[in-house]
Amino acid sequence: MDNKTIETISYLARLQLGDDKKEKITKDLENIINFVDELQNIDTDDIAPLANPLEKIAPKREDSVTSKSRKEAFLLNSPESDQNYFIVPKVVE
Amino acid sequence: MNIRFKTLSELKKLLETKEISSCELVSETFKNIASSKTNSFITLDEERSLIKARAFDEGKIKGDLAGIPIAQKDLFCTKNLRTTCGSRILENFIPPYDATVVENLNAAGSICVGKTNMDEFAMGSSNETSYYGTVKNPWDFERVPGGSSGGSAAAVSEGLICAATGTDTGGSIRQPAALCGITGIKPTYGRASRWGMIAFASSLDQAGTFARNAEDCALLLNHICSHDTKDSTSISDEQENYLENIDDDLKGKKIGIVKEFDISNLNKEVQDSFEESKKIFEALGVNFVEVSLPNIKLSVPTYYVVAPAECSSNLSRFDGVKYGYRAKNINNLEELYIKSRSEGFGDEVKRRILIGTYVLSAGFYDAYYKKAQQSRRMIKNDFMEAFKDVDIIMSPSSPSSAFKIGSKTEDPIEMYLEDLFTISANLAGVPAMSIPHGFAYGLPIGLQLMGNYLEESKILNFAHQYQKNSDWHIKSPNLEEIS
Repeated sequence: MDNKTIETISYLARLQLGDDKKEKITKDLENIINFVDELQNIDTDDIAPLANPLEKIAPKREDSVTSKSRKEAFLLNSPESDQNYFIVPKVVE
Repeated sequence: MNIRFKTLSELKKLLETKEISSCELVSETFKNIASSKTNSFITLDEERSLIKARAFDEGKIKGDLAGIPIAQKDLFCTKNLRTTCGSRILENFIPPYDATVVENLNAAGSICVGKTNMDEFAMGSSNETSYYGTVKNPWDFERVPGGSSGGSAAAVSEGLICAATGTDTGGSIRQPAALCGITGIKPTYGRASRWGMIAFASSLDQAGTFARNAEDCALLLNHICSHDTKDSTSISDEQENYLENIDDDLKGKKIGIVKEFDISNLNKEVQDSFEESKKIFEALGVNFVEVSLPNIKLSVPTYYVVAPAECSSNLSRFDGVKYGYRAKNINNLEELYIKSRSEGFGDEVKRRILIGTYVLSAGFYDAYYKKAQQSRRMIKNDFMEAFKDVDIIMSPSSPSSAFKIGSKTEDPIEMYLEDLFTISANLAGVPAMSIPHGFAYGLPIGLQLMGNYLEESKILNFAHQYQKNSDWHIKSPNLEEIS
């Protein structure tokens, strides 16, 4: 786990690590990855991955409207909104 | 009337016989909460609670839990009541809807007095990662209550409330129940709806409850669990009445002891309590059988791939745009994402998002995530095999009693090992509970009972029979001594 890897995954996760925390978090991640590396030693040939304990397939339903729009209620929680829109910094120059 | 430490069933009876009114019950609850020093609650809802209590007293609210004050873990969305999930990023989030679990408990007539403290996004085993401060264990204020549902466990343990909801992704109900000396249950994955639960690791997350005994847990589960079309992994099988078989005779039934759980290196009091608990069951005619879960040692590493992977995906929704914390002085959209997330999340959450991002990134996916999903199936198969021979499986809930605040924060792996005994039930998706069964270093410890899929009734039956023949669940912290 080198600096470059940390920088790449931090960017992928859209997180910025403060300089004071970077060293500690890098060390922690390295330890955790070493810890889970135990999994590399097991024989998993012919074992199908298990994504969900019940192995349920998402149920289908009719494509119909089930709840009415509550735009106002949801916009109330936005940090910044204007009428029907969420406001963000300018994206297109 | 002193209502502290009364069970849900006792309070129900007092309301029925009109020895107390719901208004008195609710006022007394808020009085107790105000004098509490454990920091169990993040947000209270006094005004609306009293309105509901009055409505009950006027005969306008009916239901199995009518007029009873309870608390909700701050991970469940509560309509018009702030829901933080223990994080700064949701400091001002007021959900416009109720989680299904909340809706169900409201429909049964219970009164939600407030939202309990928790590890940030349920990531932690000590409640120390909460943005709203650590919760103190009511048995010793210098110690943690466990986590992530630490506030719910502490509030019930301290007698502030007779019941509180929790969620359990890797042990977040059972470990704090153990460390606070109360009863807690996590049903089968999918038995309670995840709708309105703020997601951490969706294939592991499950709602459940804390109470003072197994019987109260059964009563609560009758309402918490339901089939919900809004949750795609919700179980549609008919739901049992969890109280129906709670008094069944245990004679001739079998408990499995896991060969691979080596408890000989644990504290002697933990070992002794375990042996004593076996004797209690033996006296009830239960037979003990050794079962093998050969891949159980892979549980913690498997979990620390699966859970962070799912968390990194789930928590990508927090970006400062539609709701939640937004950083100030921003120049462009990307900076808005990065700064809002970096300022809004705490260290443990960042750590897990980063691990998740790493194990899911191109080139590593097969080596980590796929491998962990394969080992998850091996663990599940072990359980299925073991349950062919036994009714339930029993183990300690956690390696020891509550540890000192700050003593495990430096080493994440040491903290992760707190959930050594609990994590496998989440990976397999089976129901599991913790009941108080002794003390180590003068602090409560828990006994874990795990059942096969949809056999909540069975573990509740074992727990209830145990509690009828022991008094660990009746013990409570001496609050005068420690305050």
